[in-house]
Amino acid sequence: MKTKKRIAWIVKILFWLIVITFFTWTIMNDMFRPIVEDFGEFTHLLGQHIIIVFISGLLAILISIPLGILVTRKSFQKSEFWIVNMANLGQTIPSLAVLALAMGFLGIGMKAAIVALFIYSLLPILQNTIAGIRSVDKNTIDAARGIGLTPFQILIKIELPNAASSIIAGIRTALVINIGTAALAYLIGGGGLGAWIFTGIRLFDNAFLISGAVPVTLLAILVDYFFKIMQQVLVPKGLRLAKK
Amino acid sequence: MEHVQLVGLAIIVSILIGVPLGVYLTTNEYLAESVLQIFSIIMTIPSIALFGVMIPILSTIGQGIGFLPAFIALVLYSQLPIIRNTYTGINEVDPNIRDAAKGLGMTTLQRLIKVEIPNAMPLIMAGVRTATVLNIGVGAIAAYIGAGGLGSLINQGISRSNTTMVLVGAVVVSILAIVVDQLLRYFEKRFTPKGI
Amino acid sequence: MLEFKNVSKIYNGNKKAVDHVNFNVDEGELVVLLGPSGCGKTTLLRMVNQLESITEGDIHLNNKSVKESNKIEMRRKIGYVIQSNGLFPNMTIEKNVMIVPDLLGWDRKKQLDRFNYLMELIGLHPDEYRKRYPHELSGGQQQRVGVARALAADPPVMLMDEPFGALDPIIRTKIQDEFLQIQKEIKKTILFVSHDIDEAVKMGDKIALFRDGQLQQYNHPFEILHRPANEFVSEFVGQDRVLKSTSLYSVKDLVDSVSLTGYQKAGSVQTVQEDTSLRIVISKLLNQEAEQLAVEDTKGKIKGILTLDLVEKFLYKQIKETPKRTG
Repeated sequence: MKTKKRIAWIVKILFWLIVITFFTWTIMNDMFRPIVEDFGEFTHLLGQHIIIVFISGLLAILISIPLGILVTRKSFQKSEFWIVNMANLGQTIPSLAVLALAMGFLGIGMKAAIVALFIYSLLPILQNTIAGIRSVDKNTIDAARGIGLTPFQILIKIELPNAASSIIAGIRTALVINIGTAALAYLIGGGGLGAWIFTGIRLFDNAFLISGAVPVTLLAILVDYFFKIMQQVLVPKGLRLAKK
Repeated sequence: MEHVQLVGLAIIVSILIGVPLGVYLTTNEYLAESVLQIFSIIMTIPSIALFGVMIPILSTIGQGIGFLPAFIALVLYSQLPIIRNTYTGINEVDPNIRDAAKGLGMTTLQRLIKVEIPNAMPLIMAGVRTATVLNIGVGAIAAYIGAGGLGSLINQGISRSNTTMVLVGAVVVSILAIVVDQLLRYFEKRFTPKGI
Repeated sequence: MLEFKNVSKIYNGNKKAVDHVNFNVDEGELVVLLGPSGCGKTTLLRMVNQLESITEGDIHLNNKSVKESNKIEMRRKIGYVIQSNGLFPNMTIEKNVMIVPDLLGWDRKKQLDRFNYLMELIGLHPDEYRKRYPHELSGGQQQRVGVARALAADPPVMLMDEPFGALDPIIRTKIQDEFLQIQKEIKKTILFVSHDIDEAVKMGDKIALFRDGQLQQYNHPFEILHRPANEFVSEFVGQDRVLKSTSLYSVKDLVDSVSLTGYQKAGSVQTVQEDTSLRIVISKLLNQEAEQLAVEDTKGKIKGILTLDLVEKFLYKQIKETPKRTG
């Protein structure tokens, strides 16, 4: 038992050592120079990046959750099969292709990037909302109906709390993909931190590469972590216990 | 073809690393937790950012752009779905079945090969499929660091403002992803032992 | 054949799951390990094939300590049947049944013969089921296959952990009867875990009754039912223990012990076979199906008339006059 724990710790420590070494190396080689020297440009790009992610993400959340709820109602059950399959298929399409398609139809600019990311974020949230509501125990719903809850009360008091974890997981996935894809938005004139990464690639300039790539990575990891916490906080205690 | 080669090679290597590692992790849950955590952090790194980080590192050995960074990135991204699904698949084999296998006098290796892996097969295959589809997408982006493939069609289309070229590139790479996804779904069903 | 010597199992330093258990099992005997859930009976069973380690004491199989035996080799010589059948869903019925012979390297011909024999034994057609998968079979069929798999390499000892516990009552009774028939033919030494006193009385040559890891009584079912060793045993076997004991006897036992009332040919009388359980006879008599039953021997000849009074007389004789039997 003890040796097993020890091996796990060693692996963890090794990983963090690699991370620390990487940061030491980049700092020693002055690779964050662009951020320091041109802080205004950095905040501008970061701002663009966040705006793209925020607008497209928010729209996706506002539309896909109600849509997911709608689709799981009795009268729409026939459409559910098609929507789930389309969401599956849509997520198979590579992110670069989605951006390229958006550019093909909407031209160059931030608007095309936001539309592309909105559609791309819609799918995982929609899929998880449907799956979350569907995973609620049939007997629980039956019992709720039996004691006289209205369909709306069942939705608010039972289906949504039980599906909360799954829905937040969907948002989490969508936003992480969104942040990564937003880094490609530069290619279709959408701006964002991708600008520095692609400049770095074109000019073989490591400093620009790192100054673009590291903040994007940290942003993604931070958002991921935030929603991981949210997932734990917003899930009713009874469900957390049931999972154990 | 470059695209298919890159993704194919990366997936084969990923399976060779991920499946044994996933199997090994079932013997040490603490290590499993650490390893899965590490790979889920790696999974969170946006692909273009991962290239961005890897180019400076690999350029110290003169391999900054081209095949190698793309290949390494694809293998890294594939690990989480493959390891996680192998690990979960084997852990979720009915404890009664494992108990019976032990009670009948199977050695650990026999149990693994005859019982545990075949029963975990659907999940392992699903992991491989997820990884492959993901890799086709990341592989498209790899065109920007000079790994070639269908991404270069999109790349050139954008730089020449040739909308048709961009659309053709996007559609072809999407179709590739969808076809491979469906094909692997079919194999998943086909190669799942009939009893399961 | 199988000796439990002061066996204890202690979890995490203090919780005693099995507490200084001593008893012997003779060759060809079916011993039921009986008790409420958590009494340590399953743990004790799993200590025999070393799926659980022994904390103190030892278990000897054929005068050899199981602790010193090679676990893998030993397990292949012990049949193992569990409640949820534990069949491998990825393998066909034939592969499942032949798994141990296969591990032991039997040749194809020998495996084929053995498979056919075993399937006939459990009453399933070999060719019909050979290529099928566990999930295509009913619960009862799966459990039969589980028994066949345990018997595959003809092990002298079998461990059965509530093998029929998950089946519905009608099928359970049927499989119990079938298994008793099989046991008559194969005469294995069997440890059989159960929490059901009726099953224990029906299946066991002897019953070992446990509570909190301690052996309360080890004896023939008859003794357990009629002479419970302590309060717990008498409570566990239930206040209807005399009624339960009637399933231990057949009409023939009664005929051998007390004389039947003479038979006159007057009107129609229901008949019973000599091998009918006494429990069924009582049920028929109490059910007002008939006030008396005519006993028929195997040739269809009527031997005499059976009434409730006679059953009472027989049971009285059994309880008061039979010399005490010990295990």
